[in-house]
Amino acid sequence: MSYLDIAPWRLLIVLGLLLVSALFVSRRAKLGLAKDLIVGAVRAALQLLAVGYFLLVLFQHQRAEWVFLVLTVMLAVAAWTSARRVDSGPATKVLVSRSLLAIAAGSALALVPVFAFVVAPTPWFDARYLIPISGMIVANAMNVVAQVNERIFASAKNDRAEIEQWLALGATAKQALGRQARGALRAALIPTINGLLTVGLVSLPGMMTGQIVSGVAPEHAIRYQIVIMYQLVIVAAVSGGTAAYLARRMLFTAREQLREL
Amino acid sequence: MTAPAAPCLEARDLVVRFGARAVLDGIDLGVRAGEVAVIDGPSGGGKSTLLRALAMLQALARGELSLDGAPAASTTPSAYRVHVGYVPQAPIMFAGTVADNVRAGPRLRGIELTDERVAELLSRVAMAPPDAQRNAPDLSGGEKQRVALARALANEPRVILLDEPTSALDPDSASDILDRIRRCADDGCAVVVVTHLREHADALGGTRYTCEGGRLHRRAET
Repeated sequence: MSYLDIAPWRLLIVLGLLLVSALFVSRRAKLGLAKDLIVGAVRAALQLLAVGYFLLVLFQHQRAEWVFLVLTVMLAVAAWTSARRVDSGPATKVLVSRSLLAIAAGSALALVPVFAFVVAPTPWFDARYLIPISGMIVANAMNVVAQVNERIFASAKNDRAEIEQWLALGATAKQALGRQARGALRAALIPTINGLLTVGLVSLPGMMTGQIVSGVAPEHAIRYQIVIMYQLVIVAAVSGGTAAYLARRMLFTAREQLREL
Repeated sequence: MTAPAAPCLEARDLVVRFGARAVLDGIDLGVRAGEVAVIDGPSGGGKSTLLRALAMLQALARGELSLDGAPAASTTPSAYRVHVGYVPQAPIMFAGTVADNVRAGPRLRGIELTDERVAELLSRVAMAPPDAQRNAPDLSGGEKQRVALARALANEPRVILLDEPTSALDPDSASDILDRIRRCADDGCAVVVVTHLREHADALGGTRYTCEGGRLHRRAET
C-alpha cells in the first residue's frame, strides 16, 4: 500500500485557504461567523491531532478494556450532544438517558452482527476496525435521535389541541401522536436514505475515499462502503424508532394524558 | 315510586392543581342518562378544566371518575373516552373532508361509517349531505363546532361534554344547536354543557351548577 504523506506544514495552506475564503464570505455577507469559523478550524485540527495520537497509542497496545472505554465515551458524548440539541421538550438531563438508550440500541444492532459475521477482525476487539466504524455509526445515531426528539417534542407542543382531540375521540397515545411521530421519523431518516440513493453518483463517501487514497483497491473499498451504508440505515431506523417510542412514553401519562413539557 | 337512576357519569372529589394552585378543589358531580347539566361561572373559575378532567384529558391530583358505576381506572383511557365524548370551545378539524372528520373516531377502531350514517350525523347538527365533501379546515368557526359535535356523536357516546358550544354561532344558529343538544339528552345521552351565557343556560334547562374558585355549587331551581 502506498500513499502520499501530507507534511504538517502543508496543512497550513488549507487552513489559510479556509480562513481567507470563509472570512471573506462572512464579512461580505455580514454573517458574523468569523469567530466561530476561526475557533472551529483550530478546534477541529487540535481534536483530530489528539485523536490521531490517541489512536496511535491504542493501536500499539491492543486491549479490550481500552477499546470498550473508548466506545463508552463515544456513546456518552453522543447521548449528551443529542439531548442538548433539543430545544423544546424535557430538560437535557432528563432526555440524556433516553437518548443513550436509543443510540445504544441502534448501534448495538448495527455493529455487533457485522463485527461477528461480516468484518470479523482478529482479535475481535481490534481497535483499528472497531473504533472508526463504530464512530460513524454512533454519529449517525446521534444525529437521527436529536432530529427525532427535536421534531417530535416541538410538534407535540404545536399540535397539542389536535392530539387531545384525537385522544378525546378514543385514540390511544400511539394513534393520537401518530402523525407527529411519523413526520419526525421520516424527516430524520431522509438524509440517510438520500445517502443510499446518491452514493457514488454525487460523491464518494469518506471511508471509501480514505481507503482508496491509502492504496486499497476500489473493489475492496466498495465492499466496506456497502457494509457501512447498510449499517447507517439500520442504526437510523432502530435508534430513530426507539427515540420516537421513548419520546411518546415521556409525552403521555399512564392514563394517556398529554403532559405539559 | 321508583328510586332515581344512578348517575351515568360520576366524579368524586376531583382535584386538579397547576403548580401549587388548586384549579379544581374537590368537585363532586353526577349526571344521569337523559340529564343535561349546565355549568356556568366566571372566567378562570375552573369550568373548562372540569370538562377536561371529566374527559380524562387532565391529570388529577386526587379524585376518581366512574362510568355507569364502574371506576374509570378499571378500563383503558381510550375505551372510557369513546363513551365520554368531548368537544372543546375551539375544535380543531383534522386534515381532510367533513366526512373524514365525522368518520375519525369509529375509524380508530376499524369501523367505517357509511355515507348514509355520515349524512344522518351531519343532519343532527343542521348540516346538509353536500357539506360532507367540504374541506374541514376551511369551515367557519360555527361550522367547525357543529362538525366537532357530529364527530363526537359518531362514537355513540353515553356522555357528551360540550365547552361553550355556541361561542362561534349567531343567535339563531345558537338557539338551533341548543335545541339539538337538548335532543341528545332526550335520546338518552348524559350531557354536560359549559356556558357563560345565562340565556343559553336557561334555554338548555336541566340541572344548573356554578363553578367558581375551583368549587362546584348546585344552584337552586328557578
